[in-house]
Amino acid sequence: MSTEISTSRHANLMMILRRMVVAAAVVAPLHTGALSQPAQLNRIGLVSVGAPNAGVLGADLIGDFSRRGYVVDRNIVFDRRAAEGKPDRLPTLIDELAAEHVDVIITQGYTAAVAAKERAGKIPVVVTLSGDPVGTGLVASLSHPGGNITGVSEVAAELSAKRLALLKEAVPSVKTVAVLWNADDLGMTLRYKAAELEARRVGIAIVPLGVRAPDDFDTAFAEMTRTPPDAILMVTDVLTVLNRQRVIDFAAERRLPAIYEYAYLTRDGGLMSYGPDVGAIFDRAADLADRILKGANPADLPLELPTRFELAVNLKTAKKLGLTIPESILVRADDVIE
Amino acid sequence: MNLPYSRLRARPRRPLFQKYFTALFIAVVVPLLADGASEAWFGYRDQRHTLSQRLQAEARTAAGKIQAFLDDITDQLQWTVQLPWREGMEERHRFDALRLLRQVPAVIEVTLVDGAGVERLHVSRVDPDVVNSGIDRNQDPAVSGARSARIWYGPVTLYEGSEPHITVAVAGAREINGITIAVINLKLIWDVISAIHVGQSGDALVFDGSGRLVAHPDISLVLRGDGNPAATRLKLLQQAAVAGGSGITEGANAENRSVIAAMAPIAGPDWTAIVEQPAQEALMPIRAGLLRTALLLLTGTLFAAALAYFLARRMTGPIAQLENGAQEIGAGHFDHKIEIRTGDELEGLAQRFNDMAVGLAVSQERSERIARLKRFLSPQVAELLESSNQGTLLDSHRAEVVVVFCDLRGFTGFSGSASPEEVMGLLQAYYEALGAIITRCEATLTCFMGDGVMLLLNAPVPCPDPALHGVRMATEMQRSVQTLISGWRARGHTIGFGVGLAKGPATVGRIGYEGRSDYTAIGNVVNLASRICAAAEDGQILIDATVAAEVGSTCALIPLGTRPLRGFAEGIPVFAVAPQQQEWAALPAAK
Repeated sequence: MSTEISTSRHANLMMILRRMVVAAAVVAPLHTGALSQPAQLNRIGLVSVGAPNAGVLGADLIGDFSRRGYVVDRNIVFDRRAAEGKPDRLPTLIDELAAEHVDVIITQGYTAAVAAKERAGKIPVVVTLSGDPVGTGLVASLSHPGGNITGVSEVAAELSAKRLALLKEAVPSVKTVAVLWNADDLGMTLRYKAAELEARRVGIAIVPLGVRAPDDFDTAFAEMTRTPPDAILMVTDVLTVLNRQRVIDFAAERRLPAIYEYAYLTRDGGLMSYGPDVGAIFDRAADLADRILKGANPADLPLELPTRFELAVNLKTAKKLGLTIPESILVRADDVIE
Repeated sequence: MNLPYSRLRARPRRPLFQKYFTALFIAVVVPLLADGASEAWFGYRDQRHTLSQRLQAEARTAAGKIQAFLDDITDQLQWTVQLPWREGMEERHRFDALRLLRQVPAVIEVTLVDGAGVERLHVSRVDPDVVNSGIDRNQDPAVSGARSARIWYGPVTLYEGSEPHITVAVAGAREINGITIAVINLKLIWDVISAIHVGQSGDALVFDGSGRLVAHPDISLVLRGDGNPAATRLKLLQQAAVAGGSGITEGANAENRSVIAAMAPIAGPDWTAIVEQPAQEALMPIRAGLLRTALLLLTGTLFAAALAYFLARRMTGPIAQLENGAQEIGAGHFDHKIEIRTGDELEGLAQRFNDMAVGLAVSQERSERIARLKRFLSPQVAELLESSNQGTLLDSHRAEVVVVFCDLRGFTGFSGSASPEEVMGLLQAYYEALGAIITRCEATLTCFMGDGVMLLLNAPVPCPDPALHGVRMATEMQRSVQTLISGWRARGHTIGFGVGLAKGPATVGRIGYEGRSDYTAIGNVVNLASRICAAAEDGQILIDATVAAEVGSTCALIPLGTRPLRGFAEGIPVFAVAPQQQEWAALPAAK
């Protein structure tokens, strides 16, 4: 056998072997693709102290999950529970979700968060719109919440002062402000207190109008009718939201400027609002829930603060009230309703 | 004969198959291995270089994007320092600050400081605005930093131990334009950093000058702050990447997966952008290449072994056949045929072996025939007869022959008294002496009878002058034996030697059976010669009338008259060769 023959044979062999290897490399992924497992069904429990079909029970949150690749009934199922303004129902609702063995519970509102913390056992909880969880003692700290709780905090308390300042800037003549808040809710009470502190600093008189039940609004309205304030600051929680239209209508009727916390209240007819972007909060909550579903330990997921704040002004309402909103407010408004 | 063959059949110390196999295997495998190894080495180096280049490019891109994010903010901040702090301009400045907050979501608070270093306005997303606080900010590092470098980046701070922020200060072109200090929420870098993908599952990370994580696609890692294992691992990775400089570094990421990382500096805030890609993914092309080469080498080696085995077998198979054939032929199986159809020299060699076997068979047959002839012919006559192929000479025919008889006198008495060794020793010497002469004289030996011998001349091979030739042979035999006898006599043995010759017609030919045949003559002349011999005395050579008539002219004879011989009705004339005639010189060898 001559060396030339040997080398040419060797080269041919190498070429054949290479082709075989390439062919194997092309075929292999087809097999792994065919063997991919069926999607796992994830169960999300949603609890709100408020109305069904609003907040975490609304369409926004489902959209946030869809953007992360979830398809309802294919790989995700939502189990919705609404307390409809009756916080005493919450423990039962949480128990129901625990019995359903949901993978994650997303709560809306401080009372829902407390109920979930007490009764959800080992099920991870993602809290939203529950005020300042550190301030209320719901979690130990933002970076290390501890337990099974994570979620999105609100810069809730401080913002009350900011709202009061914005209200004063929008309507400089304001001297007396009535504050409506759910006095049963610790988170909301903290917000009231922040407003009270700021009012004292800038020389505004506060009329505290704590409410505990829908009927209390009538008492509050009667109080404001008796000694009319110059403006209203409504601390937003499920109780006040459920009665928002009565407040907005009352303010319109009495020609009282009012400031709320979330943009949707301005769109409903409120004069103005300033607060975190709720849509962004739900998006972050969906992200945290997604990561828990993918195996993250909730204890490793710090609570997040909102990064975006919305100032909304309803110029139609302003017009009805005969107010001219200064440019310094409009220039910073994210949402102006004309 | 068996011993050398059995030794040959023993296992060779270094079998040919082993040598061929090794040589062929090495001939294929060495270039294959050299090729494979060099391919693997260069491939590895190229891939590694490509990986390094790619990751560095990714790191530069990531750094560029972070830089662009910061530049975008500082560009926006520049708008707030374009107007001087003069009387009546406060409202313009306030609007600039408010517009900034509206425009740049990452800015969570802005502080405007006038040319004298006094705080004029503080606007925040969370806290109520503060106008003209009058605080002297000249000692603030942000103010002094911005004054000296136009743009100043503060250290990264954590809000409530969780959310990272950085303070950025920008100074106007003129001192009177003042300085704007903004606090930036770095969580918004997440939008930038999470959009950067390195390979399939690689990430980009940002660290500040002290090695604290500023941005990570997993925002929780940033928010958890220091003091957890993930942060410690990332700090180590950052230190290794920075120490590695423009190369690539191997380390562990937050999830403790092995990663390959590269870094690029972000100049402004003295940050570092690091891109990491899981080692498994990054090195996959390298590993796949090495695996491919290893697979090729393995398959090639197996193929080489199979090829070498096949070729070595083809080479040594026929050799084993040849060896076996040689053994068969050596053992005398000349009809053995070695069947090799390789079409090469080995087939030729096998053919030679087969031819040799045929030749050996012919040769052996011939030598057996010669051996048979040598029983009664001298070797040279036997050879001649065999090679001249005159087979008919041995056929029975009538011929004029000279018959020579000779025997010892007194041998029977000697053999009775002497020891067997002496008897056989004497006979041995006697026949050696006679044999040499018979062979030389090319006489045909018909038979031995104890101490007597019968010889023929002129049959089967014709002889020119058989009578004279016979007398000369007899003379020589007599002289030779007499020499021996004198020695025995000296030892006291009474032994003599006599010879008788007669010439006449006789029937000659072979008698006997398969494998054991003798040549002999049958006729009256045989009896006559025997009787004459018996009549001869020690030292005498007696001849009949016919021989005497033929040699009479050459040789001195002594007529002894007629003698009565047993078996012959009448007396037969007998002559003795004269003793002096026995002094004849040795006869030359017959042709």
